[in-house]
Amino acid sequence: MARIVFDSAAVLTIVFAAVMVLSRHPVKGVLSVVVSFFFLAVAYVLLAAPFIAAIQVIVYAGAILVLFLFVLMLLNIRLEEVETDTRPIQRVLGGGAILLFTILLVTLLSARGAPKAVDQALATPSSGAIEPVARFVFSEYLLPFEALSVLLLAALVGAFVLVSREKRP
Amino acid sequence: MTLLDWAILVARVALPALILPGIVIPLVWYERRFAAFIQDRPGPNRVGPFGLLQSPADILKLFMKEDVIPAAADRLLFLLAPAFAVFSALATFAVIPYGATLRVAGRDIPLLGADVSIGVLYLFAISSLSVYAIVLAGWSSNNKFSLMGGIRSSAQLISYELAMTTAAAGVILAASSFRLPDIVGTQQETWLGIIPKWNVFLQPLGFLIFFIATFAETNRLPFDLPEAEAELVAGYHTEYSAMHFGSFFLAEYINVIVASALTVTLYLGGWSLPGFDPRGVIGVILSLLVFAAKTAFLVSVFVWVRWTLPRFRYDQLMALGWKVFLPLALVNLFWAAVLELWRAR
Repeated sequence: MARIVFDSAAVLTIVFAAVMVLSRHPVKGVLSVVVSFFFLAVAYVLLAAPFIAAIQVIVYAGAILVLFLFVLMLLNIRLEEVETDTRPIQRVLGGGAILLFTILLVTLLSARGAPKAVDQALATPSSGAIEPVARFVFSEYLLPFEALSVLLLAALVGAFVLVSREKRP
Repeated sequence: MTLLDWAILVARVALPALILPGIVIPLVWYERRFAAFIQDRPGPNRVGPFGLLQSPADILKLFMKEDVIPAAADRLLFLLAPAFAVFSALATFAVIPYGATLRVAGRDIPLLGADVSIGVLYLFAISSLSVYAIVLAGWSSNNKFSLMGGIRSSAQLISYELAMTTAAAGVILAASSFRLPDIVGTQQETWLGIIPKWNVFLQPLGFLIFFIATFAETNRLPFDLPEAEAELVAGYHTEYSAMHFGSFFLAEYINVIVASALTVTLYLGGWSLPGFDPRGVIGVILSLLVFAAKTAFLVSVFVWVRWTLPRFRYDQLMALGWKVFLPLALVNLFWAAVLELWRAR
């Protein structure tokens, strides 16, 4: 049962990610990312990580993508225009990247024990406890955690400086 | 799980989902009568006794009206938006404990839809998704007023969500748990046996910020800028007619009830009262009534505020959210931490 739900969530995540890439319409692209992230959250719940799932929905689907949508709607961007292909090297590199990714994916999936790993993870009883996460973040990984917050602050200040410079006469 | 377990689970989840839309019908009548009382006029009093049948008549009208879908609208998203509005409004109630645990025939039945370890986070996740209903309605209508409403709504909801979650973090800190039954549980002690240890007394500032932010989250006056009728016709639902409009209407009122119920759970002790120990079936029914009474009181405050305060201007709304509520919510979080340290000492 859990396996069926997990597999369909995983497939839908990938399908909607593909819709995002292929969609010519920016707003529909953002919406398919939302759906994709939602199914990713479903997968997290099944892997006994409801906290990560909730954060995934709150931060990504609920805040960041709403901002994306806000900007798209504010600028009222219509259909993406089909660009004339000026850089053929991009196609070659893109094709190479797809090939490399496929090889990596197939190797990973065909590795011994890979199909069983998902079953094992799904069979782990979900404690859903948040305390272990908090303990790790605020003890062992305190320094990286604080460094990240400083990095975000720097980005915030940077954005502010960029905006206020434009306003000056 | 046996068949009985499944039946109990379905009842626990389905009852609130069925009752909530049902309550909306008298609630609309109540709001209109309350408004009339405030404005010193009779209000709807012609259809049925005291005008009570006015709302059912209105709903019948909404069902019978022609449903117009603009030719230039994005059909799929246009039809999806009202459905999503009702879904997100109802889904929020799933984790709110609406009564004490019922003990029947040796089995404990907690009166809430789902007892999840991340209760409060689930609430915020669903309410952060609810913005999509309004944004999509605004965008898919292909109408500039709708679009303005949608854009305003996305900015407003994100801004006030920050203040709301930061204020609620104080409650989570006090309860040391994300589970809503735990949060109700920690509020059951009393001072001197009379004054309940509700979070509203421990963190009055947090309560004020949270409750005011819920007004913005539910698009109610004084924060109903997404549908400000003086500037935007009807905002995001300008192009909606018949029951599609009715769905947004329904969602707004369910949101008001759920926001009140959530505030009751986080700050007003949920279904508990000082000196009240719910035992047996009668005790549990009394706890349900206590919860309903507290929620009804806050819903009345929603109505009262709507007919008392004028609408904010958009820049005032943003300044209030970012420059006043967010810093004050941080102060409240600090205060909650101090309280917690003092108690642990």
